[in-house]
Amino acid sequence: MKTTSISTQAISDATRLSLSKLQLQLSTLQKEVTSGRLADVGQTLGHNTGQTISLRQERDRLATIIDTNGVVSGRLKSTQTTLEALNDSAQSFINTLLVARSSSASSQVAIAEARTKLTALAGTMNTNVGGAYIYAGINSDVKPLTDYFETPAPANQLAVANAFVTDFGVAQSAPGTELITGANMQTFLDTTFAALFDPAAWATTWSAASDQNMRSRIATSELVETSTNANVDAVRKLASAFTMIADLGIDTLNQDAYLAVIDTAIRAAGEAVGEITQLRGQLGAVEERVVKANDQMQLQIDIMDRHINLLEAVDPAEASTRISLLLTQIETAYSLTARIQRLSLLNYL
Amino acid sequence: MSLTTGLSIARSALFAAGDQTAVVSRNVANAGNPLFSRKSANVVTAPGGGVRVASVTRASEPALVRRLLAATSDASSQKALVDALDELEQTINDPELDASPAARLAKLSDAIQNYAAQPQSDLAGQAAVRAAGDLVRALNSATETVNRVRRQADADIASSVDRIATLLARFEVVNGQIVNGTRAGSDVTDLLDTRDQIVASMSEEVGVRTIIRADDDMAIYTDSGVPLFDRTARAITFGATLSLAPGALGNAVYADGVPVTGSGATMPIASGRLKGLTAVRDEATVLYQYQLDEMARSLIEIFAESDQSAVPSLPDAPGLFTYAGAPAMPAPATIVDGLAGSISINPNVDPDQGGLVTRLRDGGIADPLVANYIYNTSGGVGFSDRLEQMQDRLFAAQAFDPAAGLETSATLVKFTSSSAAWVEDVRKSSADEYEYRNTLMQRSSETLSKLTGINLDEEMTTMLELERSYQAASKLISSIDSMLAALLVAIG
Repeated sequence: MKTTSISTQAISDATRLSLSKLQLQLSTLQKEVTSGRLADVGQTLGHNTGQTISLRQERDRLATIIDTNGVVSGRLKSTQTTLEALNDSAQSFINTLLVARSSSASSQVAIAEARTKLTALAGTMNTNVGGAYIYAGINSDVKPLTDYFETPAPANQLAVANAFVTDFGVAQSAPGTELITGANMQTFLDTTFAALFDPAAWATTWSAASDQNMRSRIATSELVETSTNANVDAVRKLASAFTMIADLGIDTLNQDAYLAVIDTAIRAAGEAVGEITQLRGQLGAVEERVVKANDQMQLQIDIMDRHINLLEAVDPAEASTRISLLLTQIETAYSLTARIQRLSLLNYL
Repeated sequence: MSLTTGLSIARSALFAAGDQTAVVSRNVANAGNPLFSRKSANVVTAPGGGVRVASVTRASEPALVRRLLAATSDASSQKALVDALDELEQTINDPELDASPAARLAKLSDAIQNYAAQPQSDLAGQAAVRAAGDLVRALNSATETVNRVRRQADADIASSVDRIATLLARFEVVNGQIVNGTRAGSDVTDLLDTRDQIVASMSEEVGVRTIIRADDDMAIYTDSGVPLFDRTARAITFGATLSLAPGALGNAVYADGVPVTGSGATMPIASGRLKGLTAVRDEATVLYQYQLDEMARSLIEIFAESDQSAVPSLPDAPGLFTYAGAPAMPAPATIVDGLAGSISINPNVDPDQGGLVTRLRDGGIADPLVANYIYNTSGGVGFSDRLEQMQDRLFAAQAFDPAAGLETSATLVKFTSSSAAWVEDVRKSSADEYEYRNTLMQRSSETLSKLTGINLDEEMTTMLELERSYQAASKLISSIDSMLAALLVAIG
C-alpha cells in the first residue's frame, strides 16, 4: 500500500546533488574571475572556437608583418639618407666643375674633389644596415662597389688605364697627352670610356651587386621592391663623372680636350642628379605605402583583439556577482541540509 | 467456547503484529540503501476471525523503471563520447596557448614571413625550420592521441562486453531463484530488487528492454530487439583489435550471433556505453584522423619543390615536409591514412640532421644533388621569392578530400581552424546532450526513489500503530485470562 510520495533517501539526495552542482559551478566561476577568460573556451564556444583560432592566426600574421616592416622601413630610411647625401655631393661637384670650366687653374681642386667623392661613393654604396648591404640588391652579403683607389689597383682602375692607353697610345698624365684633340677626347669619352660603365662591364669591374632588388611583403597581399642597387643608371653615371675628372689626368690636357672632359662630366653628373631624385621619389612612395599598411594593419589588429575579447572574455563584474549569489545558495543549502537531518519523527517520540 | 476463540484471535493478532514489525524493521534497516524498495506486509483475515500476514509485496513502478533504464543507457552512451572528445580536445586546448595544429601553422607562416624580410639571416631561417618542426610534432602527437583514444575505446568495448556477460550470468541465477520462489509462494521481494539492480547495471553498457512473463520470469532484449536473456543467457562476443591502424575500423560486437554494433550491424543498438564507444572508435576519431592526415598531405603539397629548369623534366618532390613515400608526391585531394603520424621535416633542410637552412630560401631541399630544384639561380642571399611563394601558397585555396568532412576547397590555414572548430563543436553538442540525458536520468531515479524508497517517518508511525495493536492484543489476552481465572475459581 502506497501512502507516501517522498522517501528519506530522496530528501537527502536532493540536497546532496544540488550542492555538488553548485560547487562545480563555483569552481568554474572562480577560474573565470581570476583569469578574466572563459574557463573552457572550446566547451563554451563550440564551433565558434574556429573563429577565435582564425582571428588569432590572422592577428599574429599582421603583427609579424608589422614587425618585418620595421626591417623594411630601416632599409628604406638608410637608402633615402644616403641617396640624399649622394644628391648633395653630385650638386656640389657640378658647381666645382662649372668653376673649373671657366678657369683651368682650378682643375687641381676639381681633381681632388673628384677623388674624394669617388671614394665616398664606394663608401655610400657599401652601407651596411643590420648585416645586409643595402645597395647590393639580393646579393646582400657582399660589398657591392669596389673602391677605385684601393691598392693594389682594382679591376676598374686598370680597365680605365688600359682603355686610355689603347686609344691614345700614352698613359694618363704622361707626356704626349697634351696633343690629344678635343674631338678625339670626345670620341674616347662617348665610346671606349662610356663602354666601361655599361651594365655588363660595370658588373665585372665595378660592382658585385645584383640587379635584382630585395622584395618584401609589406601587407598580407602586397609584395613590393624595397631596395635599390649599385647598378642603377644614377650610380653608374655619377661614377663615370667622378672617374673622368679624377683619373684622366685633366691637368695635363690641352684646353679643347679639357673642356670636352669637363662638359661630359657636368652632363653625366647632371643626369645622375635627375635620376637620383626619381629614385628617391620611387622609394619614398614605397615608404609611404609601408606606413599606411602598418596603420591599417594596426587598426585591423585592434578590431581583431576586440573581437577575440568579445568571444573569450568574461565580464568580471558579472562573474563576481554570480559568485556571491552562488555562495549564498551554497550556504542556504548547507543550513537546509542540517535542518532536514534534524527533522525526524524520532525526536518527538 | 467463545472465550477460547477470542484468545486464539488475539494470539493471531500478536503474531501478525510481530510479522509486520519484522517488515518495518527490514524497511528501516534499508532506509539508506538506494537499491532497496519499500516492502509492505499484506494482512488478511483468517477463517474464524483471526488475522495473518499472507504475503509481502514491494513497491514497484515498472513504467518508471523502464524510463530510468532508457535514460541510463542514453546518458552512458553520451558519457563515452564526451570523455573521448575531451581527450581529443587536448590536441587543440585553449586557443590562448597556441598549441593546436592551426596555431602552429600560423606560427610557421609568421616565421617564414620573418625569414623573407631578412633572407640573409640564418637565424631567421633556423627559426622557420624550428616552427616547421613544432608543427610536425603537433600533428604527430595529435595522431598519437587519436590512436590512444581509439585503442582505449576498443579495450573499453571489450571490458564492457565482459561486464555484460558477467551480469547475464548473475541474472540467470537470480532469475531462476525468483521463478522457483514465485512458484513455491515464498517471499522473493529481495531477489526482485537484486534482479532490477542487475538490469540497471546492464543498461549502462547497452540499451535494454525487459519483458515479464508468468512466474515473474524476465526476458532481456537489446533496444534493437536482439535477445540477451530469454530462458537462458545468450552469448555476447567481441574480438578486440590489438593495434588499430589509422583509418581501419574495429570489430563488431555480436549478441546471440547477430552483429549489434558497427557499419555491418543488422540490428544496431541505439544506446548504452557500447554504442558510445563504437561511435568514438569508428566515427569521431576516424574523421578527426582524416582531417589531420589531410593537413599533413596539404603541407607536403604546399611546400613541394618543382623543377625550375627552362624545360622542366623532373616531377614535383616533397620539400620542407616529407614522408615515407618521398620522393613521390601523395595523390592530390586524397586522404593518406596515418600521414599526420609519419610526416617529418626533410633532413636536407634541418640543421639538427646535417641539413642546410638556406635550402628553405634557395630551394634544393627535395634533392640537393640535382640543380633542377634550385630556385635561387643567382645565389644571392637576399633572395626571398621562394619564401614569398610559400606564403602565397599557404594562403591560397587547396583541394581537400570530402571524406574529411570539412571544406573541399579552402586555404590550409582555414582548413586547420575548421578542424579545431569541428572538434569543439562536436564536444560542445555532445556535452550538452550528456548534461540533458544525465539530468533526465537523475530525475527518473529521483522520482523512482520517491515512489519506491523508504520514508523513516512513515515507518515510525506504522511502528506506533503496530505497538498499539500489540498492546491491545496483549490486554485482550490478559483480560480473557482473568475471565477464565474467574470462571475456574467459580467452578473450583
